[in-house]
Amino acid sequence: MILNKRKIISSIALFICFLTACWGIFWLSFILVDVIRHGISSINLNLFLKDPAPPGEEGGGLRNAFVGHLLITLFATLIGVPIGVLGGTFLAEYGRKYNFSKIISTLADIMVSVPAIIIGAFIYAIIVKPFGHFSGWAGAIALGIIMIPTVLRTTENMLSLIPWTLREAAFALGAPYYKVIIQVVYRGAATGILTGIILAIARVTGEAAPLLFTAFNNNYFSLNMSEPIASLTVTIFQYAMGPYEEWHAQAWGAALIITLFILFTTITGRLLIKRKYKE
Amino acid sequence: MTPEIEIKNLNFYYAGGIKTLKDINMTIYKSQVTALIGPSGCGKTTLLRCFNRMHDLYAGNRYEGEIIFQGRNILSKDTDLIELRSKIGMVFQKPTPFPMSIFENIAYGLKLRGIKKRGELRERVEKALKDAALWDEVKDKLNTNAFGLSGGQQQRLCIARALAVEPEIILFDEPTSALDPISTGKIEELIISLKGRVTIIIVTHNMQQAARISDWTGFMMLGELIEYDKTDRIFTVPSNKLTEDYITGRFG
Repeated sequence: MILNKRKIISSIALFICFLTACWGIFWLSFILVDVIRHGISSINLNLFLKDPAPPGEEGGGLRNAFVGHLLITLFATLIGVPIGVLGGTFLAEYGRKYNFSKIISTLADIMVSVPAIIIGAFIYAIIVKPFGHFSGWAGAIALGIIMIPTVLRTTENMLSLIPWTLREAAFALGAPYYKVIIQVVYRGAATGILTGIILAIARVTGEAAPLLFTAFNNNYFSLNMSEPIASLTVTIFQYAMGPYEEWHAQAWGAALIITLFILFTTITGRLLIKRKYKE
Repeated sequence: MTPEIEIKNLNFYYAGGIKTLKDINMTIYKSQVTALIGPSGCGKTTLLRCFNRMHDLYAGNRYEGEIIFQGRNILSKDTDLIELRSKIGMVFQKPTPFPMSIFENIAYGLKLRGIKKRGELRERVEKALKDAALWDEVKDKLNTNAFGLSGGQQQRLCIARALAVEPEIILFDEPTSALDPISTGKIEELIISLKGRVTIIIVTHNMQQAARISDWTGFMMLGELIEYDKTDRIFTVPSNKLTEDYITGRFG
């Protein structure tokens, strides 16, 4: 009798879980299919190789936005990854005996979910305002700051998964702590840390809000990080709001490219995690 | 017999002030195998980890007394731990191969000593693996990941890694407790074969193992060294009632 009741409740719970999963997957596929359907026709070489044409004219591409986006992401990674990895290393290794390390970990967890636009506003206040103009650097710093907590926490977690006996074994051979970390602990945790970095890059690639406040936009091709610089996400925002059919089409194209990029990097990251656990 | 280590009035406190070793006095002899036996929690592993100052890795631990090795008190503040640990190696309860190839595992300690020449590294790695009776099993796969070896092979790899740097002493912390009887037998043979070349201190839960491989045996209980003598005397004519009760299986 009781067993029967439990079986029924279990089936109901299972069914609800199944429905919610379907609900989630439905919207995800809807978005993906929609982006592909609208975006695929705008993908051509011109999109990558040409700069924007004057509004209303035919042709032109988004070369400036692709290159700008790449530059901003690259420098954001260069800023965010070293700080994140070294900070995570401190928390898991040298700093593990201090109580404030736990506070920093908790703060980093909170930082992960701080809305990106707040980081954008923060950088606007401390960099854009004092320098008097938007710049690629401000954008890269904003995205870099968004990356730090994710990379820091993954690094910390991955390092603490390495058993202490392994470190002891290295110490017992007469290795100093920094060599233990670099040569033994990092080697064991490399895949995990790399995964964290990839997922962090995937996350910031899709950010538009912080860039609106920092890198802003540029209708011309530019490699100068000290000037406003175009990015895909801000361009999508601007083009999708604009009045021209051509803009809408290009925004769809850019959206498709960026979605595929994020999908690709995230899947790579997940596969790396999976491989890690198989070993 | 030459003394290798002299322990004088050693007390040890874990963080929080719990006194785990009480007034230990003993002499470890050079090139002999010394076994430490006793019931769980008696402090035998704690004592073992004093010899290479492993306790220093964790904040709050405190030593009192002296451990004299090569004419110096290794418990003094100015001891160079890196140098000390290069002279006193250690093999742990669970095999601890590093996440790298078999060759790199053995070469790791050598590289720490500044040996960089490819030829010399090869030679020393081969010698260490032969000394650890592992060479024939791994000579064709030196560049594969060490995690691919069986548990017993991994443990012999760790012994080879410790041997490669030619230490004076090797500490064994229950090296066979995670292994099957056949692997255990191989490791015991290996330890016996090292007699006369390197001083060995081994902690073991297994009294028969102590009887089989050691020259000297120390029986510990509740942080005290109850009795320390030649192994054959401890197992045949123990002078202390507690020792006799333990080795005859009346408790523990």
